[in-house]
Amino acid sequence: MANESGNDMTSIWKNQPAAPPAISLDHLRRKSQKLQKRVLWRNVREYVAAGVVVVAFAYYIWLFPFLLLRVGCILVIAGTLFVVYNLHRRGSARIMPAEFASRSCIEFHREELLRQRDLLRSVWTWYLLPFVPGMAVFLLGLYLWTMQLPNASAHQGRIAALYALITAGCALVFIGVGKLNSWAARKIQREIDALNAIEKES
Amino acid sequence: METESATAQASRQDELYQQAASSYGPALERLVRGYEADRDRCRDLSQEIHLALWQSLARFDGRCSLRTWAYRVAHNVAASHVIRDHRRNSRTLVGLETVEASAAGEDREYHFDQQQALEKLLRLIQQLKPLDRQVILSYLEDMDAVSIAEITGISPGNVATKIHRIKNILARRFREGENRGE
Repeated sequence: MANESGNDMTSIWKNQPAAPPAISLDHLRRKSQKLQKRVLWRNVREYVAAGVVVVAFAYYIWLFPFLLLRVGCILVIAGTLFVVYNLHRRGSARIMPAEFASRSCIEFHREELLRQRDLLRSVWTWYLLPFVPGMAVFLLGLYLWTMQLPNASAHQGRIAALYALITAGCALVFIGVGKLNSWAARKIQREIDALNAIEKES
Repeated sequence: METESATAQASRQDELYQQAASSYGPALERLVRGYEADRDRCRDLSQEIHLALWQSLARFDGRCSLRTWAYRVAHNVAASHVIRDHRRNSRTLVGLETVEASAAGEDREYHFDQQQALEKLLRLIQQLKPLDRQVILSYLEDMDAVSIAEITGISPGNVATKIHRIKNILARRFREGENRGE
C-alpha cells in the first residue's frame, strides 16, 4: 500500500505543469555582471561609511586641544580601519558558485552553518571590541575636558551623571549586540549538532 | 592563446548549461516549488539557481554526472534560501520523524483530486528541514537511494530509512483519495 501511494504521488508530482523559465545565456551574463556590481557597491558603501567616521574623528583631533580626546579619536579611527579590513576579508570569503556543486548537500549545509556560527561568535573580537578602547578613552577625555570648562564645577554632579548614563547606554548596546549574536550562534550550533548526528547515523 | 582557451572554456560552460537546462529544467522548476510557496519568490529562486548553475559550470570537472552537479547546485542554493527565510520569519521546520508521528494520528478521511493532492504534498514538503526536503524531492523525481545519497551526502542506508518514512507518510496522508480513484 505504501509503495502504491508513493508511486502515485511520484506521478502526480512529475505530471504537474512546470515549464522552466526561459532564461537566455545573455540574460545570465547580464545578471552575473549585475551581481558583481551589487557586491562592488556594497563594498563602496562600507568604505564610504568608514571614511565618514575617519574624517569626523580626524576633524575632532584637530578641533579638541585635549590630549586624551585626541588619543581617543586615534583609537576610534584605528578601530574603524580594523573593522573595515575584517569586513573586506570576510566579504571576499563568500561562496563561489562552483562550491554549490563540489560538496554534497549535507557538507555544504554544515559548512554554511559553521561559517555563520563562527561569524556570529567572533562578532565580539572583530566588530565590537575594536571600538571599545577608542570609545572609552574618547568619553573619558570628553568628560575630563568638560570638567575643565568654566562653571563646570558648579554642575559637577549633573555632568558626572550624564556621562555615566552615556557610558552605561553604550555598554548596554555593545553587550546587547554581543548577547544577541551569541544566542543566534548557539541556535546554529544546535542545527550543526543535529546534522552531525545524522552523519553519525550514516 | 590565453584568450582562445578562455573562449573555449566559456563556450563549453554555455553548452553544459544548455544541456543541463534542457534535461533537468522542468525537474529544477518542480524542486523550486518544494522550497518556495510564493509565486514571485519562486521565479526569483529559479533565476538564482539557473545563475548559480551557469556560473558553477565554468568549474565542471566531470567527477560527478551533470545531473548530480545540477541537483547539488539547485538544492544547495534553495536550502540557503530556506535558511535565510527561516531566520527572517522564525518559521519552525520539522523533520520527517515529526511529520510521520503526526500523520499517524491524523484523520484519514481525505477526499481530494490530483490538484488538491499536489497542494497538500507541497505544504508537507515546505514544512520540512532542508535535508529531509532534499530527500523527498529527489524521491519524487524517481531517483534511487544511491543517487540521492550522492547528492545529499548521507549514506544510502540512511536515505533508504528516510524513503521508508516518506512512503509511510504518503500512504497515511493520501490513501483515501487514492482509494476513491480520484
